[in-house]
Amino acid sequence: MKCKDIQEVMPDLASGLVEVTPEIGSHMAGCGACATKMREFQQTMALLDEWKAPEPSPYFDVRLQARLREEMAKPQAGRLGWFRRPVLAAALTVLMGVGVGLFYAKGGGMYNSQDSEVATMDSPVQSAEPGTAVGDLQALEKNHDLYSDFDLLDDLEVQHNVVANP
Amino acid sequence: MAGGEGYTDAEVMLRVKAGDQSAFDYLVQKYRRPLVGFMYRMARNAAVAEDLAQEVFLRVYRSRHTYEASAKFTTWLYRIATNLAVNHARDTRHERAEVTVSLDEPDEETGTTPDLADGTITAEEALVRREKMLAIRSKVEALPERQKMAVVMHKYQQMDYKQISEVLKLSESATKSLLFRAYETLREQLKEFV
Ligand SMILES: [Zn+2]
Repeated sequence: MKCKDIQEVMPDLASGLVEVTPEIGSHMAGCGACATKMREFQQTMALLDEWKAPEPSPYFDVRLQARLREEMAKPQAGRLGWFRRPVLAAALTVLMGVGVGLFYAKGGGMYNSQDSEVATMDSPVQSAEPGTAVGDLQALEKNHDLYSDFDLLDDLEVQHNVVANP
Repeated sequence: MAGGEGYTDAEVMLRVKAGDQSAFDYLVQKYRRPLVGFMYRMARNAAVAEDLAQEVFLRVYRSRHTYEASAKFTTWLYRIATNLAVNHARDTRHERAEVTVSLDEPDEETGTTPDLADGTITAEEALVRREKMLAIRSKVEALPERQKMAVVMHKYQQMDYKQISEVLKLSESATKSLLFRAYETLREQLKEFV
């Protein structure tokens, strides 16, 4: 057993999540560096234990229930199987893009750049916000990769921004 | 179903998928405390943490139709949670800088119990303890995002290497070295407090 092997399990060893095997024990007994590091890690772990998190407030359930009711009151996009197909989701995105285009075409030269930012806030694009409608539909396509690939998600967000600020 | 006894969480989630509302309530009761704790340590604010934890449950609920029990439920749950936490961190980057400067405010956010009020500790001890707590928070906070998530999951959610590696989509050995580096940094930066 080498120091490197000990290091790998050091966080678990120091938190007491893993038993000290005879192998590890004999390495520790003969290796001052690992034994010292182990002691220091244990101290650090104990220190980190002092950082407590608050309990959920008494309002947690009530608020969650309210948000769920709100959720259920929305049109149930999830139930419409066709809605989740990538092609249709993409088509929807395009349609929304067209919608925004029309919106701006209609608005004509009415807006200066500042105003169009404000106008965008009220436009239908709002629903492409992550966690709602289109954002979720796109993400929900793949259960497994959902929320796992942060870079991909960054890209998604960038796309939203492009749509939101044409 | 009244509870999840005898069922894995993945099985309970499949009941949610099938439309069983009480199954969802069971998962909320089981995971709200760990999730609020997780979000609190990621976002450093109790109110925000609750909000984000609720958002995790809402996303679980929204995603019920597409849920497949191929991954461990908690892995899936914490993927949603880490993603939300990352987005939140990015969206509030600028506010966070301000929070860091004004750390001296009276805190309702540290989650510490006010022993001072009941006279069990002196004002000086309370001050030392508070300094320590703020140091822990700010050093964990200052870790690179992935290291921070790994530490919070390992240290405070008692998740093992395998699960953390699945949530972060890293190999197990990459996760081990990520955690070692993170704790090594914390050990170095917090040594004046041990
Ligand atoms: Zn050694």
